[in-house]
Amino acid sequence: MILDATVDGQRHRVEVVGGRGRYTVTLDGRALDVDWQPGPGPFASLVVGGRSHDIGLEPWSGGYRVLVAGHEFDVELSETTGAGPENPRPAPAGPARLTAPMPGRIVRLLAEPGQEVQAGQGLVVMEAMKMENELRSPRAGRVAEVHVRERQTIETGALLVVVE
Amino acid sequence: MKKILVANRGEIAVRVIRACREMGIASVAVFSEADRASRHVRLADEAWPIGPAPAAESYLRIDRLIEAARRSGADGVHPGYGFLAENAGFARACEEEGLVFIGPRSETIALMGEKTSARRLAVEAGLSVVPGTLEPLEGDTAIQAEAARLGFPLMLKAAAGGGGKGLRLVDRAADLASAAQRARSEALSAFGDGRVYLEKALVRPRHVEIQVVADHHGHAVHLFERECSIQRRHQKVVEESPSPLLTPELRARMGELAVALVRRAGYVNAGTLEFLLDDTRRPYFLEMNTRLQVEHPVTELVTGVDLVKTQIRIARGERLPFVQGDLAQRGHAIECRVYAEDPETGFLPSPGRIVALRVPGGPGVRDDSGVEEGDDVPSHYDPLVSKLVAWGEDRPAAIARMRRAVREYKVLGIKTTLPFFERLLRHPDFVAGELDTGLVARLEGPASGDRERPWPVAVAAAAIRALEQRRSAAQGGGLERPARSAWRRAARAELIGDRD
Repeated sequence: MILDATVDGQRHRVEVVGGRGRYTVTLDGRALDVDWQPGPGPFASLVVGGRSHDIGLEPWSGGYRVLVAGHEFDVELSETTGAGPENPRPAPAGPARLTAPMPGRIVRLLAEPGQEVQAGQGLVVMEAMKMENELRSPRAGRVAEVHVRERQTIETGALLVVVE
Repeated sequence: MKKILVANRGEIAVRVIRACREMGIASVAVFSEADRASRHVRLADEAWPIGPAPAAESYLRIDRLIEAARRSGADGVHPGYGFLAENAGFARACEEEGLVFIGPRSETIALMGEKTSARRLAVEAGLSVVPGTLEPLEGDTAIQAEAARLGFPLMLKAAAGGGGKGLRLVDRAADLASAAQRARSEALSAFGDGRVYLEKALVRPRHVEIQVVADHHGHAVHLFERECSIQRRHQKVVEESPSPLLTPELRARMGELAVALVRRAGYVNAGTLEFLLDDTRRPYFLEMNTRLQVEHPVTELVTGVDLVKTQIRIARGERLPFVQGDLAQRGHAIECRVYAEDPETGFLPSPGRIVALRVPGGPGVRDDSGVEEGDDVPSHYDPLVSKLVAWGEDRPAAIARMRRAVREYKVLGIKTTLPFFERLLRHPDFVAGELDTGLVARLEGPASGDRERPWPVAVAAAAIRALEQRRSAAQGGGLERPARSAWRRAARAELIGDRD
């Protein structure tokens, strides 16, 4: 199986073959022989060239979140496009959608539709876990839509504001 | 005291329940509807419901806590920290009900809890305070006028405050009005009191606090300092003892000042005096916390004194079992607060279910946790999951041990501050003891630039797991989770025997 893996903003081509605890993972043309011991639960043990790695692994948007030796990685996986390794991903274009990073309550709206805003300018003040958090505009532009009102209770992922 | 009601939740409730168990005292947990399955409920001898999930309807309801104490037959109440721990009204309600409140007297809490009156008392006891207002300010005009007198940068603080709530750093006059509005509204919702006051902000200050304990027989000692300069959003994330900044002379001097204020205030039980040190190491009294501190374990590890048991003994009327000369700091201890927060997004809360948990152990490692695998971290309360504490014979040994423990610690299902600690613990400024309250800000930003990150292991693991998932899906086996991405849905459709 050949995949594109994106981690830390870099794309890598990864090929994996094998089974029953023995795999060869070819990463950007470099082959690693992996002794793979899954479990318990979402944990796994990898021994690569005699080096032991104790990891945690869980499904995460578009791939896996992997914990390795105190570090955390969001590894995005996709069917390979045939592009070479290490191509940085293009910057997202089009309207930017500000969504709620956690459940909570809208305390104040700091921008209204039509208003010009700077990147990093506060758009919404949200209260969660007893703290007021200012959520900022992901980019400069004009506020196109405001989807919440003050004192409204919202869930994670709720669309708050669209900036064009 | 035969039975203690613990008026709190999470790791601190667990901490107090454990102390009760070791002392042969029965413990009574209280729980909101969100906490029925929580660890503190499981570990206590008794458990009583006190209302719906929002703290204002449960953990902050004095009437329901008193009722639970009455029904359970408790004769003592431990408030933990946060919630009602520094609420003089709660201490008074306990006193009137004939319950022993494990903390200072209600009038002392009122005196020290009002930050401006505490500052006045500190000045009388010979301590220096950060230049600022000695009275709470009401109204924008008063705030503007005082700000103009003191000059910027300034700290806006809640008069009834603590725990970083209602606190704002203001760099410029232009930001003052909106910061004041935010601070007032946060203070009002956290403490039911929206009054604020101003202090001059020190440049790259160090935050050092002194632990004190005093009994009912006029005995008061200090248990040295904790260095608390590593903060995010004005809340501590890493604490240690001893402070790398203090000389033996400065340590002794700050301890004496702390005990002087304790005597002046007639303070009883455990408490903490917070100081800011400027770049000449001059200590300014900031405030007194009239309760057990979150970071008390670092003091316990270097002094060998169990602070919770000491609190209970003092409340029972016993004399302190030590004098100042008996106390010494042995070795070095560091605490990392494991919060359900995402350090990659500026420490935004990340509540959710802890799908899997692996907790470090071994020599010199202590994990004070309020959760177990499978628990939910509710969004209603403080996102502190656990306090990881490491002891070593000196500071380098304690750092090495903490790095080892962070490496072993794995939490799946929610984001935590653990990856941030991995970076912090090997930052040259931290290793050199060059701590200040701005270090976290300098560490912010994506971890991806870090050349030491073992990303190939992560990618190999993800690819192998993806291959296994694809095969098990193709064989009709269940996915571990519903397919979330296009490539995995496509994988489902593929035939067995995919040429991989």
